[in-house]
Amino acid sequence: MYEETLVALTVVLPPLAGLACFAVNNRSFRRAVVVLTALLLVGSSIMIYISGGFSYEPGPSIGPIIEGAIFLLDAVLLVYFLFSGLKYGSFLVMGLTVLQLIPVLYFELVLKGASATPAILVDKLSIIMSLIISIVGSLILVYSLSYMDEHEEHLHLEKSNQNRFFFFMLLILGAMQGLVFSNNLYWLYFFWEVTTLCSYELIRHDRTEVAVKNSITALWMNLVGGVAFVAALFVGFYFSPNSISIETILSNAQSREMLVLLALLAFAAFTKSAQFPFNKWLQGAMVAPTPVSALLHSSTMVNAGIYLILRIAYAMSGTTLSYGVTLVGAFTFLATAYLALNERTSKGILAYSTIGNLGLIIVCAGINTSISYVAALTLLVFHSVSKGLLFLGAGVVENRVHTRMIEDWEGLLRRLPFTSIIMIIGMIAMFLPPFGMLIGKWVAIDAITTSPILSALPVIILVILGSAATSVYYIKWLGHLTVLPQDGVKLTQEKLPILYSLSMLSLLSLSLLMAVEASMVINNLVIPALPSDYILNARYLFTGGLLSVETGFGSFLTYPFWVVAVIIIIIGTYIARNKGGLVKGPYLGGENIEENPSIFHTTADREAKVEVSELFLDHEVSSSQFLSISTIIATILLMIIFLTVIL
Amino acid sequence: MKTMTTARLKSPWVLHFDCGSCNGCDIEILAALTPKFDAERFGIVNIGDPKQADVLLLTGPSNKRNQRVLKNLYNQIPEPKVVIAIGECACSGAIFHNCPNTNGGVDKIIPVDVYVPGCAARPEQIIDGVVLALQKLAEKSEQEEKTQ
Amino acid sequence: MAELISINTLVSVLLVIFAPIIGGLLMGIDRKLTARMQSRMGPPVLQPFYDVIKLWGKQPFIASSLQPVLAFGYFGFSLAAFALLAFGQDMLLLIFTVAVADLCLIVAAFNSKSPYSNIGGKRELLSMMSYEPIMILAAVSIFYNLWAKTGYPSFMIQRVMDLSTPLLLSLPLTFLAMIPVLIIDMKKSPFDVSASDHAHQELVRGVYTEFSGYTLALVELGHWTKIALMLGFVSLFWATNFIIGAMLAFALFFIVLVIDNSYPRLEWKSMIKTTWIVGFFLILANIVGLIARAVLGI
Repeated sequence: MYEETLVALTVVLPPLAGLACFAVNNRSFRRAVVVLTALLLVGSSIMIYISGGFSYEPGPSIGPIIEGAIFLLDAVLLVYFLFSGLKYGSFLVMGLTVLQLIPVLYFELVLKGASATPAILVDKLSIIMSLIISIVGSLILVYSLSYMDEHEEHLHLEKSNQNRFFFFMLLILGAMQGLVFSNNLYWLYFFWEVTTLCSYELIRHDRTEVAVKNSITALWMNLVGGVAFVAALFVGFYFSPNSISIETILSNAQSREMLVLLALLAFAAFTKSAQFPFNKWLQGAMVAPTPVSALLHSSTMVNAGIYLILRIAYAMSGTTLSYGVTLVGAFTFLATAYLALNERTSKGILAYSTIGNLGLIIVCAGINTSISYVAALTLLVFHSVSKGLLFLGAGVVENRVHTRMIEDWEGLLRRLPFTSIIMIIGMIAMFLPPFGMLIGKWVAIDAITTSPILSALPVIILVILGSAATSVYYIKWLGHLTVLPQDGVKLTQEKLPILYSLSMLSLLSLSLLMAVEASMVINNLVIPALPSDYILNARYLFTGGLLSVETGFGSFLTYPFWVVAVIIIIIGTYIARNKGGLVKGPYLGGENIEENPSIFHTTADREAKVEVSELFLDHEVSSSQFLSISTIIATILLMIIFLTVIL
Repeated sequence: MKTMTTARLKSPWVLHFDCGSCNGCDIEILAALTPKFDAERFGIVNIGDPKQADVLLLTGPSNKRNQRVLKNLYNQIPEPKVVIAIGECACSGAIFHNCPNTNGGVDKIIPVDVYVPGCAARPEQIIDGVVLALQKLAEKSEQEEKTQ
Repeated sequence: MAELISINTLVSVLLVIFAPIIGGLLMGIDRKLTARMQSRMGPPVLQPFYDVIKLWGKQPFIASSLQPVLAFGYFGFSLAAFALLAFGQDMLLLIFTVAVADLCLIVAAFNSKSPYSNIGGKRELLSMMSYEPIMILAAVSIFYNLWAKTGYPSFMIQRVMDLSTPLLLSLPLTFLAMIPVLIIDMKKSPFDVSASDHAHQELVRGVYTEFSGYTLALVELGHWTKIALMLGFVSLFWATNFIIGAMLAFALFFIVLVIDNSYPRLEWKSMIKTTWIVGFFLILANIVGLIARAVLGI
């Protein structure tokens, strides 16, 4: 009874709240509903965490009703996709939907194969995902209450579309919860397609030509994954162990059929998480309003693919498939790192960064050791929080400065100090110690080097090179934010709506707290979520107490680093205060003008302003060529992986 | 502190600015930095950045075109600093002292501490001038310490 | 109380305190040797200290209130990285701490809106991109070497110091791969694209252009500490005998000076290409060699 309530609160409540928002297009009503839902969602997630996990099978009275409802909704969903494909003349969408609809109908009506026991299985991995979805998702929803008001004001809309927006935002929260709780593969597939629906609808929210085009791209690429899912359902039904219960499938012995099923699921995960060659849709999805990018395309929906890979990874340990998965992730990590170097828009860079980090998580999942699992989960947890924060900050900047080109973000530290500082800390948190993402990367390097050496070498090279480029594109971006003309002008005061500062500061505090207590996070949240066979080994290796994270092969001193960093900042500020200094203009060959040192005399005594620009390397490495070649390589890689599994 | 003055004497970083000379004195200055005369053994380094310089080496007469730049560079050099005018043109304007486009020596624009005459001034004289300037720097430094 | 603090810890603490001084002396020796290679006398070995003391006493000019904090950050984090080396900690954490120090310098360079400083900062960023992968790969090769020699792999420097046979004998190619890294770090030709020693200017002072007075003194101290760090890392290649280790470090130091005096500055593209090709090739060859030796039982 208790478990039923928790499941209902997390899975069913958000969509119902969404329907309420859709029906009543009133701003205050919407705010109340969203905040209330957020609180209930977070509360029930925490209760689920405390419960430690459970399994739940709906009783004989409501079971068939739920199953029937899911089938009906699924069919309606697929028909809606078909209709959308028809409306926009996309044969890809129509074809892929038909490829799903007919088999699903056959599966449900003729084979009657869509049952599994237990239907719901909540284990520690699901709990981590559920916490991320609730906490990060709720904060993003709170943020979007303010953001959408500003967004619609900027677009001069007469009638607000926020009812539609919040319906889909709340729907996806519920769908994601359902996804991570499902043990029934068919239910998981259903929730998966609901997330595809939300992604499609939210990307095309503004109904511009570009938005609609990109939403169709997102739709068909995700549908490819859906087709793979349906094929997996059939494999699960026909071949041993003749079940679509994930628990049963995964605990079965490895056989060729099972590996085919796992390969199909991995393929679906690649489409959802926008790994190469399916990265294009995520780049295009950046036209959506920023909360969409924050929620779907960094913290929540793309994590669905990661969740699936983490769920099935253990079952493919020791196989070529596992190594193939690693290679796809590693290649994606490297390729996106270099593409991000040349990307001109803020959200574009964040999108590439997301895909790359997801690739790194997939690398760890593919390596399949206890250390690599810890690395994968650590990266997952920290990435969701940090990337969500960066997207929120980027959204605020966009609304204030009305541009996404990072070239124009020069000197934001002076114009928007609060947001800039949050963005700078958020960027530092993505790739530098003592923050959590680096701890995850550090454990990942330990994991790669402790795996069999000949397979590890290509992976370590790809990861090292990708890591080098990651530092470059973040440092150049955050450096550009701090470009200040040397004229002694003080920083301006920035006024932010309370919901912005509340959501961003909460995410920032969460990120900082988790980074300081990284050892606790690993010991209490991450390690219990490992496959049971790995937990003992992980506990043996990860012996660090509060002060440091210890893998058996290295030591990351979290507390000492924070202490040293704080001391350095204090002493630095003290010296700066003490010695002070006159703010002098830049050295410009002596040609600065008296009144404003950032302006100088040039030929014929004309006056010119000092201009500095961002660093881009596309003269050396052309982005479009790089993208095409990477897509081709990734496609060939996937084909090779599939062939090795089938043959 | 005695240490500070000693350090200042042992590490004079030079900014060399040509105000419009014929380059004769400039060539001699650069010669002073070459291995034959080796000014670096005194810690003298030709740093190009006024913000990091102690000694301003000037050649050529000041004129209406460069007086603005000269003042700007002088202001960008942090204290304590010394200015050395090298060559006749920088000292007094030499044969161009009453030309319409020149102002005369550089001391018409900024205060000069040491004058090194010659046309062109020889490297030994230049190094001598720098050593003299360092003595003035020491005096300035000690005065500053007394007032603090 | 004296029994609680072992000799090792004391030595490590002293090393950290004296790291900038050791670095400064090395810079002084650098200038003296370079001068002798150029047939001249050169400044006294203590010259860098005179420079820094003089800089500290200059009238302070700053680019913004952020700049001095970042300058101290560069020094502080370099020292923290050196402390990690002195206390035998994790090599990867050391490399990432150096990255934090570099971040402070680069952001301080970007912070001043000056064309020279900005381009210098971009080139410093590209220099970091050049040498960081090689250092990580070198750490990985040491990791594999520890695995081969002791049966238990580790990234901890303490384990390297406890090895009975010196690293140089099994990782000679990795040792050589440290040469391009050292060239970039010491800002010597052919890879001194972001800033360089005094007589080799290209962008006025490159990444250091807008620093002056006490901020430049802090950056200089940071530079010295980084050099001491890199040479300390090199000396690990003969950790069994401290004197021979120091001699090895000095040998690489000298080779860098010879290369500096023989080559002109190259473009940043050549820097990345050369460092990566040479570095990756040498270290991978070494790792393959380690595998071969392990398999063949040599």
